[in-house]
Amino acid sequence: MYKYDNLDSQFLGERVEQFTKQIDRYKKNELDEDQFRSLRLRNGLYKELHANMLRVAIPYGVINSKQLNQLALIANKYDKGYGHFTTRQNIQFNWIDLADMPNILKDLADAGLHAIQTSGKSIRNITADPLSGVRTDEIADARPYSEIIRQWFTLHPEFSWLPAKFKIAINGIKTDQIGMKFHDIGLQIVRNENKELGFAVYAGGGLGAAAMLAQEVKSFVPEEDILSYLESLLRTYNLQGRRNNPKKGRIKFLVKELGKDKFSELVEKDWLLSKDNKELKLNFAKLKKLQDNFKIPIKPKAYSNKNTDVDFNFSIWRKNNVRENKISGYSVIFVSLSQINSAPGDISHQQLKALAKLVLKYSCDEARITKKQDIVLPFVKNEDVYELWQKLNLIDLSSPHNDTFAHIVSCPGLDYCSLAKTTSIPIAKQIQNRFNENGLLFEAGNLSLHISGCENSCSHHHVADIGLLGLNKNEDAFYQITLGGNTKDDTELGKRLGRAVSQDEVIDVVEKIVKVYLANKEEEESFNKVFKRIGIAPFKDSVYA
Amino acid sequence: MPENNIKINELLDVENWQKNNSTSSKGIILNPTDDVQALADTLNQASLIAVDFSNFDDGRNYSQIKLLKRIGYTGKIHAINVHIDHLQFILRSGVDSYELLPEYKKYDVNYASDFSICYQAADNNIGLLEKHKLD
Ligand code: SF4
Repeated sequence: MYKYDNLDSQFLGERVEQFTKQIDRYKKNELDEDQFRSLRLRNGLYKELHANMLRVAIPYGVINSKQLNQLALIANKYDKGYGHFTTRQNIQFNWIDLADMPNILKDLADAGLHAIQTSGKSIRNITADPLSGVRTDEIADARPYSEIIRQWFTLHPEFSWLPAKFKIAINGIKTDQIGMKFHDIGLQIVRNENKELGFAVYAGGGLGAAAMLAQEVKSFVPEEDILSYLESLLRTYNLQGRRNNPKKGRIKFLVKELGKDKFSELVEKDWLLSKDNKELKLNFAKLKKLQDNFKIPIKPKAYSNKNTDVDFNFSIWRKNNVRENKISGYSVIFVSLSQINSAPGDISHQQLKALAKLVLKYSCDEARITKKQDIVLPFVKNEDVYELWQKLNLIDLSSPHNDTFAHIVSCPGLDYCSLAKTTSIPIAKQIQNRFNENGLLFEAGNLSLHISGCENSCSHHHVADIGLLGLNKNEDAFYQITLGGNTKDDTELGKRLGRAVSQDEVIDVVEKIVKVYLANKEEEESFNKVFKRIGIAPFKDSVYA
Repeated sequence: MPENNIKINELLDVENWQKNNSTSSKGIILNPTDDVQALADTLNQASLIAVDFSNFDDGRNYSQIKLLKRIGYTGKIHAINVHIDHLQFILRSGVDSYELLPEYKKYDVNYASDFSICYQAADNNIGLLEKHKLD
């Protein structure tokens, strides 16, 4: 993985000093609330219901044991003992004191972690497929490009004060694995007819109140020109994006307003004037160095069969949570953070610490964070899988929920988030309990359900098979339901089922929807396919009858 | 980089500049919505263009400065109403001089020189290690 060098460390140290000075000025009333807000968000710090929340980036989801240990330390020392992995390869701490911030940022920097641009109207953490480098059908590993782009847009002097937040995702295989079409920019790595590497650029995606899918604005940008192209795209947005209406600031509104063709024409015009600037060309020596950094640390090996006890729990877990690595003799392990009775994505400092040890011992000191709030150990020897499972069991991280309906994705909702309209986590727990009781969990297969506590859509509910969106009507909690979203192999937005249902009804309603699916499902047919085949009517009939 | 004592009331916005045919003014003060490329001919007549950074969250100015360079503008670019927390970006954007808002004048001149490293090429990289080149 990418190793921070002295310059990177120095830079992080300097950033910590800068923010420390700003906090001091704020305390002395030399920075007003709005200005401080703008600055603290650019350092990942939110004011929430009960305390401050800090969001730490895990760029393109790659993390090592030292970093996991440091996150454990932060959860223990400065928080109430927990961290919460998000759907965008970040981790959040919900109980942070402003006074501790300088020390927290220093501790993070010691492990090459930071919170720069994890919030605010800036270019956010860049996400990439968590299985980058491990997939068989990869066009190219997205991580070296992600790192180059991440660095380039860190405190960029032209693009640090955008009309709204700006999220970039990079996908290195043919099917969209990272939901790039619901990002402000999605970059799809492609090869053109001459087999040269480049990017297809999608712009204007975003979830939230007006969910839209990104559209292709350029089918091929050569890899060496990607920085200049992104600059031109950002310049067009920086100048023309709406700044007078905070609800319409995202680039999706600009692309929609201008139309995709007009937008890409403007970007193209700008780009033709800057693409030959040598300073903006990709540094291939640097790329090569990064590609070496990101080389897969394992070589094919023969499977030495170890005798394992027959264990039913292990078998279920293996079926759901273990996948083959493209390198023979190795497995990819999914650690689900969706245990019954804890919040999806939550992890305790003890678990983080124990996990750090396992990552070091069993997975070449590398783990990945997924958009489903899981942790992946990508390089586990097949013969170690059973032992690893036993150890995960000891720290309560062996839930066999991966790729099953039990794996609910949920945002923090009212429990932690000041923007929330409704709760999310308790609903997730109630649904898990209901399906435990009614025995339909197995039959439901890998049905996905995501819950967002408000229109900001942090759980990405639009792209779930079943999406729940919390609304507040006259002080009562309601849930808007969408069906048929997809983020498994492509990105599709779900369709609205009908009127929102009350909090009292919502668990029953979810059960009804699942039953309609099961009654209509033929063999292994997915929810998405059934939904397309039978349409929304049968679901409506069952829910609103 | 020098601070520069240009008085805002000696400047005109583009519209008034065009009307008054420039003679009474020391330069143009750019509005964040001005289309630099479309106004290239007018802007190029001015010996000084002031860019107003008073709005803490508005980053359009930075791209406008970029476009001023691109249209081949050779006069002076002067940043006015500068917040000290913007200075690190403004210094790199290609301005020739700047003027802090009065409330920041008490700070040490080196207040904003926190960084010794930059990750990208910009108009002004003086005094910075350019990480993108070093790798
Ligand atoms: S979706 Fe809304 S409630 Fe949930 S975390 Fe995001 S902002 Fe908060």
